[in-house]
Amino acid sequence: MTSSRGGKEERSLVRMVGIEKSFGKVQALKGLDFEVRPSEVVGLVGDNGAGKSTLIKVLSGYHLADKGEIYFEEKKVSITSSLDARKLGIETVYQEQALAPNMSISRNIFMGREPAKSLGFMDKKSMDRRSMEALESMGLHLRSADALIAMLSGGERQGVAIARVLHFKAKLVILDEPTIALSVKEAQQVLEFIKQLGKEGISVIFITHNLYHVFPSADRFVVLARGEKIADVEKKDTSVDELVELIIKPPSHN
Amino acid sequence: MRDSKLRLARSFFAYRSASILLVFIGLVVFFAVFSQYRFISPANIKVLLAFGSEFTIVALGIGLLMVCGEFDLSVGSILVFCSFIFIRLFEMGVNLFLAGFITLGAGALVGFLNGLITTKARIPSFITTLGTMMLWRGVTLLLSLGRTRPFDTEVSPLLGSILTGKIGGVIPAQAIWFGAFGLVLGLVLHLHKFGNWVYATGDNKEAARAMGINTDRTKTICFMIVGILCAFVAVMQIVRVSTFSSRAGDGWELKAIAASVVGGTSLMGGIGSMVGIFLGALTISAIENGLVVMRISYFWTYIVFGLVIISSVLFGLYLERKRLGRG
Repeated sequence: MTSSRGGKEERSLVRMVGIEKSFGKVQALKGLDFEVRPSEVVGLVGDNGAGKSTLIKVLSGYHLADKGEIYFEEKKVSITSSLDARKLGIETVYQEQALAPNMSISRNIFMGREPAKSLGFMDKKSMDRRSMEALESMGLHLRSADALIAMLSGGERQGVAIARVLHFKAKLVILDEPTIALSVKEAQQVLEFIKQLGKEGISVIFITHNLYHVFPSADRFVVLARGEKIADVEKKDTSVDELVELIIKPPSHN
Repeated sequence: MRDSKLRLARSFFAYRSASILLVFIGLVVFFAVFSQYRFISPANIKVLLAFGSEFTIVALGIGLLMVCGEFDLSVGSILVFCSFIFIRLFEMGVNLFLAGFITLGAGALVGFLNGLITTKARIPSFITTLGTMMLWRGVTLLLSLGRTRPFDTEVSPLLGSILTGKIGGVIPAQAIWFGAFGLVLGLVLHLHKFGNWVYATGDNKEAARAMGINTDRTKTICFMIVGILCAFVAVMQIVRVSTFSSRAGDGWELKAIAASVVGGTSLMGGIGSMVGIFLGALTISAIENGLVVMRISYFWTYIVFGLVIISSVLFGLYLERKRLGRG
């Protein structure tokens, strides 16, 4: 299924073709095609078990697809680990945020990628400065990069997780349920952060159950059901109600 | 609002190390007073530093491992096994410095094995090291037939003075070694990349892995550090006592965990500081020594340890609740 853009040939950022993935007898993805363009926010929606998480886990290197190909910036790539994905510029902000609660913001942002002086000793000053810069660029004003994650609110933690991917020059950011378990105010804050990503020209895949959250933020929606893509529509061509209908009553294939 | 949260967080950590220091000083005063000042006599301090430093060096490694989120119950057995290797090498006439390095290698290998089984077979380290604890002591008992074996320090007076000599005739070398290991491990844990990986692995292993940290390797390296420290102390102990004993290291595993817990290390991993571990280890050694100097039956030692551990954990939980309550 191709997206309905009036004949304009646009380079895709990521193109997944014919992706199949099974876990034992369960086929989670049944030959899916999925595409994201540069500077685009795609809302990936569907009910539980539709295959959303599996699809993005294939893209971020957590799973290896059984069949199918992935193209990044029009070049065929092989993503076998999260390191491969990150090298390409694909970063994921997980539901659990992948943050260590008893460590500082600075240590979390640079986790695994610590800037080091001689002999591997961390350049703390640089880490703290760059952390504050990354947070500021998102409009997140925190007192100190030394603050522990456990001291931050849910929205602030998401902010740190997003600041992290922003700092490492992601080209594609995957957000898996970023507003879950957040208060209304915090969720709004996170949606603001996502707008920031858009401003930086970064593409976003936004997985969520909350259509009301993703609707204003996305350019396009891809609806999955039972491992297959059942809709791929531009925001202007649809509405929240229509999407809900599709998710609840997916058209059955023969 | 946030300001006070931050100040609280900072003071929590300063608090913790300061509170351990206070406990330590309190104990010193207590023992000094109730032992008619024998506790702080120069002779006793020398003994405490020389003898007590052996255990504390091992405790440093255990503390590091616990921050990483794992336990090692086999430390006593690694110690006795390495002791046996060293004494046999000595008996075979191998150059003692070479023998020492081979023993360190053996300790590293045993640690590596602990790490390998724990990470690859995904068995909780508690179980793995429970097994290796019995394995290595069993092997040692079998090979040594439970008998002691003599060691002659005259063979290498140089080794003797490096490990057990007295700087300026006063400060035991063991204490210097303890300080040196504490300093190096402290620098690594708090300032080095690897230390960040240790904290990350212990605090949120999945997050660390998602960020590309090789948590298996990080843990295994920590296990190896423990093994090497055990081997080092094994050699140091044989040189000091001039004997191999198949009972060496008996009960050290629990003392080491106690030292870490008293030092503010969390049993869940991810929380701990080298300063805290250092002081916690000193505290445990001081308790052992203090009770002896007070002429109290050795059997009281375990009761006191038990009380100290429980009250440390309770105090730690109280501080934690206060922090989260306000946060």
